[in-house]
Amino acid sequence: MTDRSLTARNYAMGVVALLLAFVVFIVPFLFVAINAMKTAPDAAQLDFSLPERWVFWENVVTTVQTRDYALLLAYWNSTLITVCAITILVIFGAMVGFVIQRRPSPVSRFVYVLILSGLMIPPAVVPTIWVLQGINLFKTLQGMILIQVAYGLGFTVLLFRAFIATIPRELDEAAIIDGAKPWQVFFRVVLPLLKPVTVTVIVVQSISIFNDFTHPLYYLPGRDNVTVQLTLYNFQSQFASQNNLLFMNILLITIPPLIVFVFFNRQIVAGMTSGAVKG
Amino acid sequence: MARVVLRNLRKSFGALEVIKGVDLEIEDGEFCVFVGPSGCGKSTLLRMISGLEPHTSGAIEIGGRDVSGAEPSERGIAMVFQNYALYPHLTVRENIGFGLSLARVPKEERNRKVDAVAEVLQLGPYLDRKPKALSGGQRQRVAIGRAIVRDPEVFLFDEPLSNLDAALRSQMRIELTELHERLGSTMVYVTHDQVEAMTMADKIVVLNGGRIEQVGTPMELYESPATPFVAGFIGSPQMNLFEGGAARTMGCDVYGIRPEHLTISDGAGQWVGRVRHVERLGADTIVHLDVPDLGPLVARVDGGLTYAIGQQVHASPDPERAFKYRG
Ligand SMILES: Nc1ncnc2c1ncn2[C@@H]1O[C@H](COP(=O)(O)OP(=O)(O)O)[C@@H](O)[C@H]1O
Ligand SMILES: [Mg+2]
Repeated sequence: MTDRSLTARNYAMGVVALLLAFVVFIVPFLFVAINAMKTAPDAAQLDFSLPERWVFWENVVTTVQTRDYALLLAYWNSTLITVCAITILVIFGAMVGFVIQRRPSPVSRFVYVLILSGLMIPPAVVPTIWVLQGINLFKTLQGMILIQVAYGLGFTVLLFRAFIATIPRELDEAAIIDGAKPWQVFFRVVLPLLKPVTVTVIVVQSISIFNDFTHPLYYLPGRDNVTVQLTLYNFQSQFASQNNLLFMNILLITIPPLIVFVFFNRQIVAGMTSGAVKG
Repeated sequence: MARVVLRNLRKSFGALEVIKGVDLEIEDGEFCVFVGPSGCGKSTLLRMISGLEPHTSGAIEIGGRDVSGAEPSERGIAMVFQNYALYPHLTVRENIGFGLSLARVPKEERNRKVDAVAEVLQLGPYLDRKPKALSGGQRQRVAIGRAIVRDPEVFLFDEPLSNLDAALRSQMRIELTELHERLGSTMVYVTHDQVEAMTMADKIVVLNGGRIEQVGTPMELYESPATPFVAGFIGSPQMNLFEGGAARTMGCDVYGIRPEHLTISDGAGQWVGRVRHVERLGADTIVHLDVPDLGPLVARVDGGLTYAIGQQVHASPDPERAFKYRG
């Protein structure tokens, strides 16, 4: 095979891959975007034609105002849940990862097994609701935050543990000789080195928590507790013919995570693959 | 004053006993080198002195005080690690001053001390850099600076030069020796390199399999190695050691003769052999011989002499300097 045919083949494969990605990712998005700008009867057709009349701004206003500004409340609720859950996840994930990686003992190994099983065993919804009811956290944002922390902790600990394993133990030991207490070793030496993986955790988890549909559906019923993905129901049940608003809603709730992802995707990949101590 | 005394020190990892009873006294201000093959327990012994590794039994005294249960930071020690272990997120100044800032030393005093140390180690221009932006030798200096600023009674070094290239290593050997003279502190230095041990030590401790094989000054170890192990470990090129039949004909179990104590001649001599290989070092020439009675034999001769590969020569040991071991 000559060099030229090789590059031609690479080129062709690149084009095919791009086309595939286009069909899988961009086409649905375009479909949503186009239909979000149609009038209700027009959107009821559910086809790929351009809108007969462009009603972008009207649709935005109507969507936001629906059900007494439920979308804005949902943004607030989802943001609150995300910020609180992420804060707890990062602090505990890093600490647990540190202890599990640095102090192997029967206890920490047992905890590690628990964490792995947390990743593998699917959550049981009904018993979780019993527990939440038992401690009066069912239908509360606090309860939802704790649920998100519980679901996210396994993966977070795993990421932190793997990253901490790349930090030479001598660094801890040097700090101990310098007179650092265990908590100082963590907060002054290890934690500052966890920046790349922390960015990864924040971005990955906040997108999944912000966009979560099923868990708020099970554990957080109630009008005042609505989260962004649940606003989709606003246009599903009421009238059959409000596809345009449904799509506009999708557009409005997809954009914030998309922006986060576009801005941070470099750091995400860096945090997943890099070690702490370079050069 | 900081004498370091180890009494019947033992260490086991699970069922594996790594340090099998070490008794040792390191005098105040002494430069003591632990030397031995890889895996013999040098690092473990050093880490027990530092307190990073708890010992299984026995006692450790530093400066007349039993520190067996003390925290590393309370033992008056500082340690320099093989991979430097600099804090990557801190500048050189913060790296050196880290211990002081933990101890809540006021900022001016801290800066003054760091500047003084940087002066000694010629690190002044690099104080605001991160470790990433330093060369290996500079990183090593920062690690040493971090030790000096603690003003310890005992310095502990774990193979600090093994990540440096040969030229830098010999330069750092000299700098460390000078530093020791200037500070007058006790230093315990671990290496597997017998050249480092010979050139820097006041006292060498040869370790083998978790036990002390011999303790002495470099010349004592060179001139009267107590065991075949020490005989083979100290000196370069290695001493020629023979066991079995060859040794029995000379009335011992192990017979040793250093390459520099062999004479090679064309005429009569004790052993006859053929030249297999010649290494010319300039001042000296190392001649590798095959001697049918003994096996391979290495001799160090004057650099002016030349031998052809395959040439038959005679080798004679200096009987005064041969070593005979029993048992
Ligand atoms: N944390 C540990 N757990 C189990 N075995 C260890 C541990 N640290 C060291 N060892 C064992 O102890 C022996 C001595 O190790 P070390 O002191 O590092 O040797 P050296 O520094 O002389 O090369 C080795 O056989 C090593 O495998
Ligand atoms: Mg070692």
